[in-house]
Amino acid sequence: MNQSAANQRSGWRVVDIVTASVIAVASGVIFWAWSAGYGLFSLAFAAFPPAAALLTGVWLFPAVLGALIIRKPGAALYCELLAAVVEALLGSHYGLTVLLSGLVQGLGAEVVFAAFRYRKWNLGVALLAGLFSGLFAGISEAYIMAYYVEYTPALKLFHVIATGVSGLIVAGLLSWLATRGLAKTGALSALASRRAHLESGKLAAK
Amino acid sequence: MSSVANTGATAQTRRGIEIIARGFCWQHPERSQPAISAFDVQINSGEKVLLIGPSGAGKSTLLHALAGLLEVDGAEQIAGQLLIDGSDAFAREYPVGLMQQDPETQVVQSRVADDVAFGAENLAVDPAIIRQRIPEALDAVGLGMLPMDHRTQELSGGQKQRLALAGILAMQPGLMLLDEPTANVDPEGIGPLRDAVLNAAQLSGATLIVVEHRLDAWAEHMDRVIVLEPGGGVAHDLDPQRLIDDESLRAELSEAGVWVPGYSPQVQPASPRPGALLLEAAELVSARSGQAPRTQAVDLAVSAGTATVIRGENGAGKSTLALTLGGLLEPAQGALQASDALANGLGKSPFSWRAGALIGRIGSVFQEPEHQFVTQSVREELAFAPLRAKASGGHELKYEPQQVDALVESLLQRLGLQHLAEANPFTLSGGEKRRLSVGTVLAAAPDVLILDEPTFGQDARTWRELAGLLVEQLEQDTAIIAVTHDEHLASVLRAQEIHLAAVAKQQPAIARGPVLDAPVGHSWLAKINPLAKLGAVAAATLPLITTLDWVSALVVVAATILAFPLAGLSPARFFKRAWPLLIAGVVAAWGIALVGQDSGAVYAQLGIFSITEGSVHGGIATGLRAFALALPCILLLATTNPSDLGGALSQQLRVPHRFVLGALAGMRLLGLMVEEFATLGLARRARGVGSFGTVAQRISAKLGQCLALLVQALRRAGRLAVTMEAKGFGIGQRTWIRTATFTSKDAAVLLAGIVLGTVAVGAAVLAGTYNLVWG
Repeated sequence: MNQSAANQRSGWRVVDIVTASVIAVASGVIFWAWSAGYGLFSLAFAAFPPAAALLTGVWLFPAVLGALIIRKPGAALYCELLAAVVEALLGSHYGLTVLLSGLVQGLGAEVVFAAFRYRKWNLGVALLAGLFSGLFAGISEAYIMAYYVEYTPALKLFHVIATGVSGLIVAGLLSWLATRGLAKTGALSALASRRAHLESGKLAAK
Repeated sequence: MSSVANTGATAQTRRGIEIIARGFCWQHPERSQPAISAFDVQINSGEKVLLIGPSGAGKSTLLHALAGLLEVDGAEQIAGQLLIDGSDAFAREYPVGLMQQDPETQVVQSRVADDVAFGAENLAVDPAIIRQRIPEALDAVGLGMLPMDHRTQELSGGQKQRLALAGILAMQPGLMLLDEPTANVDPEGIGPLRDAVLNAAQLSGATLIVVEHRLDAWAEHMDRVIVLEPGGGVAHDLDPQRLIDDESLRAELSEAGVWVPGYSPQVQPASPRPGALLLEAAELVSARSGQAPRTQAVDLAVSAGTATVIRGENGAGKSTLALTLGGLLEPAQGALQASDALANGLGKSPFSWRAGALIGRIGSVFQEPEHQFVTQSVREELAFAPLRAKASGGHELKYEPQQVDALVESLLQRLGLQHLAEANPFTLSGGEKRRLSVGTVLAAAPDVLILDEPTFGQDARTWRELAGLLVEQLEQDTAIIAVTHDEHLASVLRAQEIHLAAVAKQQPAIARGPVLDAPVGHSWLAKINPLAKLGAVAAATLPLITTLDWVSALVVVAATILAFPLAGLSPARFFKRAWPLLIAGVVAAWGIALVGQDSGAVYAQLGIFSITEGSVHGGIATGLRAFALALPCILLLATTNPSDLGGALSQQLRVPHRFVLGALAGMRLLGLMVEEFATLGLARRARGVGSFGTVAQRISAKLGQCLALLVQALRRAGRLAVTMEAKGFGIGQRTWIRTATFTSKDAAVLLAGIVLGTVAVGAAVLAGTYNLVWG
């Protein structure tokens, strides 16, 4: 790989920055629409509140979606963190801790993309990134930020597993599908992912 | 043309730049044909050039090349030379101003003065000089009356374009490039915008190139007309007068879709034969939502085979009325009743019909075709509604599935889209998208067809095809209702007109839903450095993460409430902002009370869970802590403008400005995206995507809506990025007209936050309630 190709892979152009920002803000809108309906979903879990963790994935998708679309180092972290900032500015229930959550969740996805040296953007990597984002979120909520300090150890473990599964499906699978859908519309034509819909749908394709 | 104002400080010896193209060619890396080939032209300093040509002639590519925005990474093919005052355009040695057609993405910042300054700041002009240029530039474009802190989101489309022009003027460019500047501007906004452009060109002496396909407003004011041919060469280079005198040239251009001055396409007008009454509105008042502005009351009777045109000034709510007539919004007052012939076994109110029943009775075509695309190919798009349309009683299908194929084939032919049957609808040209969006609604053969500005921004060729299609529908006894400014269309349809006047004494329509840059007022805290406030909130709340006890949480809550007068918040305004947080606290408390660790007396037993003294105490502490973490943020949010926070982050904490300003530019679009999300919901109902049905159907409908939002967001991002790059964003060091400072007052606020965090934890330790969460 020559030097200019390397720069192209890691350098953020203006269009990358603006697109990542707009994805994060659109995610903020989706969070907002989701919160409006979220109460209804949560009520369904009133009998067993910890199951609400299964819905966590919705808060994690900007990380995976942003990275799959922008394909630059730091995209997962930037999108998730900015989505959290938007959420905080809209008056989040969680105060400034929402920024810490965004950081942790974004980092979970970012380490997976980094582990593949920002070269692989296939379904397997997307699922893994979603899973890690969910696990990071779950572990931080259950043990570090300790929102659920009153849970029994078994419930804490359940919480971590539930957020992981939710991340895998909502943040991982749906983001991957969304990227392909978006590429088909031509909306990604200025970005590194413009041909995502032509890439193989296999788990570990190149 | 408006008078030339303010020649003072900015009129130093400036002049336009000269452009020379010699055999210039450009081919995008992934295209098989060059966008521009063998382009030869010389444009003199200060000349005003009108650039026209059919779609695909490379007009936008040429403007991007002149602005130095085409990406050069070795993959594309370039030949020849494109010189700006003798130096390569790609080197970007001179500031060049570029304006595109979508007003929303021509504005970058959320406050008027900041937006005017943006480009000059990027060029690292001295802030003192920029501050002098801002009022001059605003005066030159006729926006001198706006306060410097006016929110850019509240401007009309035409005003946004003029603001963008002021920003270009403040950069003092030698060349101004305008890509269909009036295409998305209402007719009443076109004149002032055109005058502003000409005034700006005269004041700055800059060379001016305008791409347009509606020539009425421009032709007489320009020095020269250049017509491009497909593939990007020059077809004609002539005097503007010939657009008026030369009949063969006029015929050639109008055939290619250009609106030459004074041209009206010839379409055989309709010969209406009024049929049965279909829809009747009595004292009908429309509104987007409960709190949104309301329209005037309207009486209207719609009969088969007739056309009705809704006219009226901006902000009168014409689109809102159309949505209500289309059964997409509930009437705010009065009644809208379908006749028995139209309802065909259903209730009288169209709003109560399910999507499948609605689309076979009343079809709505939205202004933006992309809002209504729901599938992956043109063929599926046309088959979508007929496969869902419901006939009498709203249960049986209107078409047998085997009929649908034949229907789609005939529609493809009528719309001239056969060759695009398998293409993704989003990849079509503007005119093709418009025809498809009308076709997808016609496919369900509705008795009433409602269109919102169907001819807006369309070229003359699409206009002819569209008008022909609508006349044909009228003759097949469809009733047509159109919101339009287009008098020629109204006359071709032989339409009755209703005029909707704006309702006086109403706030102008403002963005619904969340807003990030609401005015922050003039309270004491509003003048404090945003970073000091952010630091104080962090220092006060983050220690609470370490402990789960009610004492520390209560101290923070109490101190925050005491500080509210500093933020100018009354108890009522505070409660309005805080109630979701209270609910969240209660929910968290309930969750823990139910499943938390049990100890002490048992209060209740619910299945396998027991609510005990221990779990209730845990629940209260958890809820109170959640409340204490969130509450101080209200102080920060109510008194801080995100742009100021961004400026401080970049200037004082050295966060890279490209990311800070990129994020702020994205955030400005939030209110717009929230509105767009709501519009998408309505647009998709008008295509037969229901909001009822099984849980799986509803989830898939919502996911589709989210994806559609992302498509629009990405398109905006692309255009916004071009605007920002053209304004010199991201090329190097920049200056700031608002400099962040840190005074002793700011230090005091930060200190107060630290003290509060320490006192809260200290109080808990003294009271013996401190309870380390990791213990």
